[in-house]
Amino acid sequence: MISTIFKRLGVALATVFGASIFAFILLRKIPGDPARAIAGDAATDDAIAALRKSMGLDDNLFVQYGNYMGSLLRGDFGFSYSTGNSVGSLLAQRLPATIELGLLSVIIAIVAAVLAASIAVYSRRRWPDRLLRIASSLAMGSPPFWIALLALLVLSIQLGIFPGPEGRLSPGTLRPPNVTGMFTVDALLAGQWGTFANAGWHLILPATIIALGPFAFLSRLYRNQLRGTLRETFVTVAQSHGLRRFPVYSRHVAPHGLLALLPAASLLFADLLAGSLLVEKVFGWPGIGSMTADAIIQKDFAVVQAVLLLAAILYVVVSLVADLIMTAADPRTRVGAR
Amino acid sequence: MSNVATAPLLRVANLNKSYGTGLGSRNRTQILRDVSFELRRGQTLGLVGESGSGKSTTAACVMGLTAVDSGLIEFDGVDLTSLSKPEMRRMRKRIQMVFQDPNGSLDPRFTVADLVEEPLIIHGVSGTAERSRRVEEVLDRVGITLKQAQRYPFAFSGGQRQRIAIARALVLNPDLVVLDEPVSALDVSIQAQVLNLLSDLQDELGLTYLFIVHDLAVARLMSHHIAVMNSGQIVEAGTSADVFDNTTHPYTRALLDAVPGARRRAKALAAAGTAVAMEGK
Amino acid sequence: MSHTNALPFPSRSMARDGIPDQAPVLSVNGLTTSFYTASGTVHAVRDVSFDLYKRQRLAIVGESGSGKSALAMSLVGLVPPPGRIVGGSVKLGGTELVGLDDAGISKIRGRDIGLVFQDPMAALDPLKTIGTQFVETIRVHQDVSAKVARRMACELLAEVGVNDPGRRIADYPHQYSGGMRQRVLIAMAIANDPAVVIADEPTTALDVTTQAQVLDLLAKICDERGNALVMITHNLGIVEELCDSVNVMYAGRFVESSSTRSLFGAPAHPYSKALLDCVIDPATAKRGALPAIPGSPPDLSVDEPGCPFVSRCPIGRDELRCATERPEARTLAGGAVVRCHFASDTPGDAA
Repeated sequence: MISTIFKRLGVALATVFGASIFAFILLRKIPGDPARAIAGDAATDDAIAALRKSMGLDDNLFVQYGNYMGSLLRGDFGFSYSTGNSVGSLLAQRLPATIELGLLSVIIAIVAAVLAASIAVYSRRRWPDRLLRIASSLAMGSPPFWIALLALLVLSIQLGIFPGPEGRLSPGTLRPPNVTGMFTVDALLAGQWGTFANAGWHLILPATIIALGPFAFLSRLYRNQLRGTLRETFVTVAQSHGLRRFPVYSRHVAPHGLLALLPAASLLFADLLAGSLLVEKVFGWPGIGSMTADAIIQKDFAVVQAVLLLAAILYVVVSLVADLIMTAADPRTRVGAR
Repeated sequence: MSNVATAPLLRVANLNKSYGTGLGSRNRTQILRDVSFELRRGQTLGLVGESGSGKSTTAACVMGLTAVDSGLIEFDGVDLTSLSKPEMRRMRKRIQMVFQDPNGSLDPRFTVADLVEEPLIIHGVSGTAERSRRVEEVLDRVGITLKQAQRYPFAFSGGQRQRIAIARALVLNPDLVVLDEPVSALDVSIQAQVLNLLSDLQDELGLTYLFIVHDLAVARLMSHHIAVMNSGQIVEAGTSADVFDNTTHPYTRALLDAVPGARRRAKALAAAGTAVAMEGK
Repeated sequence: MSHTNALPFPSRSMARDGIPDQAPVLSVNGLTTSFYTASGTVHAVRDVSFDLYKRQRLAIVGESGSGKSALAMSLVGLVPPPGRIVGGSVKLGGTELVGLDDAGISKIRGRDIGLVFQDPMAALDPLKTIGTQFVETIRVHQDVSAKVARRMACELLAEVGVNDPGRRIADYPHQYSGGMRQRVLIAMAIANDPAVVIADEPTTALDVTTQAQVLDLLAKICDERGNALVMITHNLGIVEELCDSVNVMYAGRFVESSSTRSLFGAPAHPYSKALLDCVIDPATAKRGALPAIPGSPPDLSVDEPGCPFVSRCPIGRDELRCATERPEARTLAGGAVVRCHFASDTPGDAA
């Protein structure tokens, strides 16, 4: 068990290191000159050359990477040319908004997927299963930013059920005192019910849209796992002992389904990240996603690099934790044979 | 090929094998302990034992599917453990295997004719005409028509699939066939068909069988010699009649006594003498 | 055909020596189960009838695809989809089981009818301890505290030969060997003292010495507790050793029902005879040709008009009657009930 943990940790570190190199090289090899982007179209070639020099872009890649890693280890993520801030402060400022949105998305995706798949499998009728299949196909097949635009147009602008793309709070709403940076949590802590409701109202639509992809994926996975478990002999045996349908389902079928969701956690995380990128942009959400979308367009590669690295670290941590929970939750791996 | 009729085709001597378990393979589990036996050309050796006795591992060693710790596996005068991989591959042409579960060994995406031809292609038998001649011949031997062979494995019953697996093993004209529980997945009525086929093929083609089997009755029916394995060791060996009628080892005795039906007869015999024995079928 | 006398329990007096006449604990009449698959309807159980009495040990013997497992599952309403009981009745005492809802049949399962399955390695939930599963099994039917149920479970585990049950009850299934798991499952099946135990190939997945121990255990438990046993198996040796009466199943039907003694002494149906001939006796087996049944079992999705065994039968192969007219069940003088136009009582005549 201990050796397994160390092995996983080693793999995790190697993954993060690989991701840092990948992000570094990729951003320097894609077409477009960041110096020209920063200096603007009117700049002279000399001015651009000088800027390139000051940014270290003329050094060879190894030197550049060495410098990059060096400052990274000192906690310096670099400087964002497009916004004029250090990347570190940008991340600190925007991370809570994204975490708040992401957490709600995860909760929506998991709860909806588990509920929908459970009903689809448990029901004696066929239509819930068919409905789930159609719903998950649609959710999986449509690009999130397109859904986001459509939802904004219909639900916010036409029907006015949800707020427009105005960020995390309506203009004029009292901002809660900064504790966690997540407005709903901070508002609750401060007892500001109006702010809490307003923040929640702003969260729901983007969070639901980001959750669509993960929902589709998780509901299918969970459904298939439940179906597979229902065919297991031990389920029939439990029935033969006199357990009724529901106890058999809740005690012997569902736990196996939930266990199977754990390995999907890292995939879910990747899905979420990709989803939030453009959805945040569409909703004017001041988080990491919209910041990254802007930075990509501006060729502000210090920002993109930092986000890629952060994503890689989070991804690795999520899969590692999921793996460890999985090992601990399954007696077959936790307890040795006698 | 050896022309000395008395020399064994397969000679296994002091075969040892262990697996490492735990961290850094500190604990080693001995799977085979000094396993030795000889198998003469045209004969059948029944390797009998329960699960975990080491009989399947022995077969895997003979097939070169797993490395051995020490010992000798001499096939037709050549020590298989000393062969390089390409040499072993060439030798494998002469040693074929039939598995317990015919479904697992037959790829469902190929027709039966293709499946039987495949070993010929792998072992570089050139000439489409030559290959189809040999496929046709071997299919005929196991009782599958060419027309049937154009179908896919799922269209066949368990017994027929095992016939196909046997055809696949025989198409290369092997000297030695390792039969790993070839009938234990089959129904009683089908089992007899396949066992009869295996006996006939041995008589016609002079095949040598290493027969891995847990069913003592089948072992006795098919084998000239029997080796009983328990915990990685051969505990009793000899001719079929010796092992079954003059059992010396308590484990063999226990195995024989455990066969349902036989037990009842034995108990009845002991209880009531000969009167009840007459009543048996 | 009439229900009550369709297949009367054969040779009552012969098979159940010394047991006074009594009402059957389980009475099955005209039971029919089909599987509705995309490629057609598989008629797995066709018009099966039998009575089971207290202390009786009844074998249902057949090869794979004979419908014997579908029959076992039909008795307790556990036929997996797309299978369904389409007709007939299963009566336990006075209660009709066919058509009961989930709540109704769940009360019967485990309390009145216990089941033991083929594959002990897959029959326990790998995520829960033996104790958790055992306590659950007891408390479904008995109103006792978890603590009391656990003590009962330990006693039962000791009864089936689990050493140190107080400690082993906290173990997970993967910490038990196959033979031990089957003992645990037998203990669970009898935990609520059912009148009927159905064992579906309980030893097929086990080694021969373990098989012998498990069979001894089943016999001992049935003797001590006096419940009736339905043994579903393909192994005629087990039938001979353990059971007093036997139904031979072929293509979804009972083709011969008789006492074990009469079946092994003088099989009436050609299929029974052929099956017995295929059994190799380790005490006398010699190298050489084995009598085999030619061909393979019939496709259960086709309901042919004649006898299902006709193409493999040494007698019926050339008989027009066997190919066109389905043999009805008839009782021979010796008491055996046979579905064959040509079966007769005299041994040897049938083949």
